Amino acid sequence: MSDFLTSGPLPTTTGEHPISTTAERHAVTSIPGATPGRDWVIVTRGLRRDYDMGGEVVRALRGVDVAIRRNEYVAIMGPSGSGKSTLMNLIGCLDTPTAGEYWLNGVLVSKMSDDELARVRNKEIGFVFQTFNLLPRATALHNVELPLVYAGISSAERKRRAAEALDRVALSDRMQHKPNELSGGQRQRVAIARALVNNPSILLADEPTGNLDSSTSSEIMKVFQTLADHGQTVIMVTHEADIAAHARRVVVLKDGMVASDDRRSAFTARLGPDGQHP
Amino acid sequence: MLLADVLRTALIQIRANKLRSFFTLLGIMVSVAFLIAVIAIIQGMNAYVKENVASAMIGSNTFQVRRTPLNLAPVSDDQWDVIQRRPRVTADDAAVVEKAVPNAEAVSLQSGWPTPMVDIHWRNRTLGDVLIFGVTAPYQVVQDYRIGAGRPLSELDVRDRRNVIVIGAAVAEKLFDDIDPIGRDVRILGEPFTVIGVNQRKGRVLGQSFDGFILMPISRFEMLYGRRSTTTVSVKVPTAEDVAPAMAQVEEALRVTRGLRPGEPNDFSLETADALIAFWKTLTRVLFAVVPAIVSIGIVVGGIVIMNIMLMSVSERTHEIGIRKAVGARARDIQRQFLAESVALATLGGLVGVASGWGFASLIATASPLPARVTSWSVALAIALGAGVGIVFGVYPARRAARLDPVLAMRAD
Repeated sequence: MSDFLTSGPLPTTTGEHPISTTAERHAVTSIPGATPGRDWVIVTRGLRRDYDMGGEVVRALRGVDVAIRRNEYVAIMGPSGSGKSTLMNLIGCLDTPTAGEYWLNGVLVSKMSDDELARVRNKEIGFVFQTFNLLPRATALHNVELPLVYAGISSAERKRRAAEALDRVALSDRMQHKPNELSGGQRQRVAIARALVNNPSILLADEPTGNLDSSTSSEIMKVFQTLADHGQTVIMVTHEADIAAHARRVVVLKDGMVASDDRRSAFTARLGPDGQHP
Repeated sequence: MLLADVLRTALIQIRANKLRSFFTLLGIMVSVAFLIAVIAIIQGMNAYVKENVASAMIGSNTFQVRRTPLNLAPVSDDQWDVIQRRPRVTADDAAVVEKAVPNAEAVSLQSGWPTPMVDIHWRNRTLGDVLIFGVTAPYQVVQDYRIGAGRPLSELDVRDRRNVIVIGAAVAEKLFDDIDPIGRDVRILGEPFTVIGVNQRKGRVLGQSFDGFILMPISRFEMLYGRRSTTTVSVKVPTAEDVAPAMAQVEEALRVTRGLRPGEPNDFSLETADALIAFWKTLTRVLFAVVPAIVSIGIVVGGIVIMNIMLMSVSERTHEIGIRKAVGARARDIQRQFLAESVALATLGGLVGVASGWGFASLIATASPLPARVTSWSVALAIALGAGVGIVFGVYPARRAARLDPVLAMRAD
């Protein structure tokens, strides 16, 4: 990991990085239908998602306004049932909203067809999941290649780029290993390499440390930190306040609505003595 | 997604589940093997009948004037009654035929149907139930018999009603072993006959020997069996093209001789080897109709097996489909992947089926006299059939896979 962490100039992480201000966010989310500027990676306006659970309508999101600028490192936090998984599925273009707008890189994706969404997932989004979600029978190299396969890139070019991505997460020596021959931390690093291989606009992590022990967790969080420091837009969904506290900005969801949206210092200041979010 | 990647992914999947893949394509394999083998056997039999049976029974470039038709197909009772009332074919008819076909190579008269069977004795040996024909000298030429030892029957033998016979190779072998049969005296129906010639072997056709016979001057034959039974006139013409005009000439001449009015049916039958071949073709036509029916049942069952296995595979790999969709696979990429898998499986089944059918056919070709021939069109048909089954029965599972919701799919184990 060390060569990865030290490659390139590293800004110090005091926790007070420039993030979008509340006023800027309000300005971009308050005008329905307006195309956000290019520096806004994600803008949602009144995002709603209802589920029909056997006749009963569950309102998972009840109008979420979120704006995330390029290069931000944002945690989306909330207890289970707060709607954070639903929001992450919508941001990740795995699902479509019941109502509201979702703009990704200035493009309205909430009205896109399934095929267009698949293309957006392929080009713009890199997923990192709690359960890694690697193909069990494929090697690390092939797993990392997968997004490039669906991008229609030739085999030789794919291999080169996948090997490069694995090198960036310090797994060059594990390329031909299958997931069951790798440790949890290594698997998650393969998943990160896969997420990054197609140079996505956002890295979208869903409880990335949920299946890892604490030392491996901090190792993975360091990887995210470094990526964010290098300018990668990172969005991390978690229910753990101490994990959320790694991000520069924390959006807290409650009952399908945004409860708070602060820089890290404001978020940590509100934490109770046990480190739990009130 | 590149086509090469689609195929590669399909083959990796098939290879990863070797045993399952094998059982999946077993149905297609067996059906295709059956198709290939049966078509090869039918084709072989056709060729065999054309080359051997027909000419062995009638002779090449030859036709016959018969009282009863050489029809192997069933005849109705009414037709049979009419045939039974026909006049006999006699030496007089043979004379008419000879005059009608001046370019004939040979015209022979032989004892007609049914051919009697006799016991032939030599010293203390007896050979039972040997076919005995009364013939004129040209019969040897008409039937394409070649004399192996001694001499054929002559005009004089017929005119003088000599007690002489020519025997087939099988009779010579069984009765005399290694002893030279020429000049030996044998007894038939209590009367003495001298063997003057042995014909060369013609071989066995469909299990029936064409070498187990006795040829006797027809005049002598009639002394044994009486003159009341019918005879058959055989005409050999120089080339195949001469057969049809010669037959027309004979038909014309016989109708005139027999005083048939226009519109009245012939009271004799004209037959060629083609009649045999035609009959054989009607037989194999039935086979050609039945075989596809059996094969299509097998193929449909094989297709259903493939569909089931693919559906199972889709539900087993739901999680994988979710992952693929998450990283950017479109519905059509997933559909193509699963379709490629079922098509590859079915085509593989077709190929293995062709190979085993081919093997079976060549086994038959070596172990039996049937020259089983695998034709290229049947191979093409079999492979196309396999691929077609893969597409038809692969579409539904592939659609199901393609329509899976990525979020729900990733939640599956």
